Amino acid sequence: MAAASDELKRAMPYTTRYPELGTGPIDVAPLIDPDLFELEKEKIFRKTWLLVGREEEIPEPGDYKVRQIDVASTSVIVVRDKTGKINAFHNLCTHRGNKIIQEEGAQTTGRTRSHLMTCRFHAWSFSTDGKLHGVPKEENFNKLDKNCLGLKTIHCEQWQGFIFINLDKTPEKNLVEYLEGMADQFAGYPYHESTVSYRYSTVLNCNWKVAMYAFSEGYHVPTIHAATLPSLAKIEQIDYQCFGPHSTSALYVPPVAGMQPTPATGNLGGRLVTSKQHGPHLDLLPEKINPERRTDFQFEFPVFFPNLVLHLGAGNGYPGMTYFHHQFWPLSVGQTLWEGTNYFRPPKTPSERVAIAHTNALHRNAWLEDTSTMEDTYAALCSGALDEMVLMDEEIMIRNTHRAWHEYMGV
Amino acid sequence: MMALLPEKFVSLNPFVESWALPNELQRSQQRWSASEEDYRRFYDAMMPMLDETLDYLDQYEIGNIPEEAIVLYHLSLAFAEAAPHVELYECANQVPNSFEAVRFEAAHGEQIDS
Ligand code: FES
Ligand SMILES: [Fe+2]
Repeated sequence: MAAASDELKRAMPYTTRYPELGTGPIDVAPLIDPDLFELEKEKIFRKTWLLVGREEEIPEPGDYKVRQIDVASTSVIVVRDKTGKINAFHNLCTHRGNKIIQEEGAQTTGRTRSHLMTCRFHAWSFSTDGKLHGVPKEENFNKLDKNCLGLKTIHCEQWQGFIFINLDKTPEKNLVEYLEGMADQFAGYPYHESTVSYRYSTVLNCNWKVAMYAFSEGYHVPTIHAATLPSLAKIEQIDYQCFGPHSTSALYVPPVAGMQPTPATGNLGGRLVTSKQHGPHLDLLPEKINPERRTDFQFEFPVFFPNLVLHLGAGNGYPGMTYFHHQFWPLSVGQTLWEGTNYFRPPKTPSERVAIAHTNALHRNAWLEDTSTMEDTYAALCSGALDEMVLMDEEIMIRNTHRAWHEYMGV
Repeated sequence: MMALLPEKFVSLNPFVESWALPNELQRSQQRWSASEEDYRRFYDAMMPMLDETLDYLDQYEIGNIPEEAIVLYHLSLAFAEAAPHVELYECANQVPNSFEAVRFEAAHGEQIDS
């Protein structure tokens, strides 16, 4: 590839740092082609590490979480065994294949009784380490080898309290290798302290990448969020970095003279900002995030391939030491389960709870704005009238995800 | 009928029936159906008393708010969630140009604030 001209480097200072990304348009077919979607199931969702939860969701031995993963036609049990280790299994009984734990929606949490999970069909029971424990009328089988009939294991590893699974029989890389530079870049943030979570979800009539790409750039912020986040009319999105299939960047909001918060935001947000617990803590950001410790830092937002966008706040901007993430779970080529989850430090007083409700409402409302374009975008793209889309410098994370997508797909 | 609000806050009594709801789902349903006038009156009544209200609530422990204060607590939570409509959306009951709010499912939406 020819070296980028000076003019191009000025126009796209970040993108041109990664020559492998190119600067041309990206193809639209991956966003609408049903055959490619079938291939994605094998080449991406059965090969990569997928986030399925937080350790705080299953704090005690015997606690479990069930996560439906439609794109792999499975449901996964993530359970903490007697030793505290977290294991993952297909939610499937090794007798005749019934589901062991019945889900209530895409994510279900619960606690096993005496570390046993019992299939309701014929009452085979399995312990939380996956071993087959009990079989009624065992003597009537033809020499049942219980050692070979444990639950079907799935690779499960944790990083910074995030629980990931990999559906590949033998994953090419362990989780930390897979995360590449992200593992180090984002280690050390006090994720485990933000234990109060609010989750919203919906089924979007669009391809999962249409939804994910819309959450992977800050270019839309001044337009799409004009109503809910007027203070973000002028943002600075910088600190872009790519780490293999993953990428990151940070959003800063240079202060505007004379800009006053609205009364309720000033009052409620102010309560969080002035509290030691919820107030700004630039000191708690990992070293490489906001390296200059700018006070107008809003959040860092890394994109983890394939389907996770995380946001790390530090109590500036959106009040509260919050982090939040979005996940995009394909249901079909044109349907996606989107889940947005906000994590706050627990409120200690009623007024803090009220203030958190306010911040959370603003997040949720902003997400209602984000999700407002996705179905239109997908419907319009399905016309086939656009073969390629052009991307500007600040859309570099989309470019990187798209490049990684092609690499994994081999197309 | 029992006393709904502590003595100091009786001026907020007209808003109790519509807005003092114990969980986010119910409060959202109220937000989606409230009129411009509802938003305006609720906000104008509550905003000037916000500090006093929250100071009063803070004498209690979260998760353990006694009966005499719970209605005021729920009213405050509704205010927090309704205020953006007044301050940012010109009292519209939906976020302008947004995705349909009813299609957002809140996993935590039915938890009671106590
Ligand atoms: S299918 Fe589970 S016990 Fe028979
Ligand atoms: Fe956005």
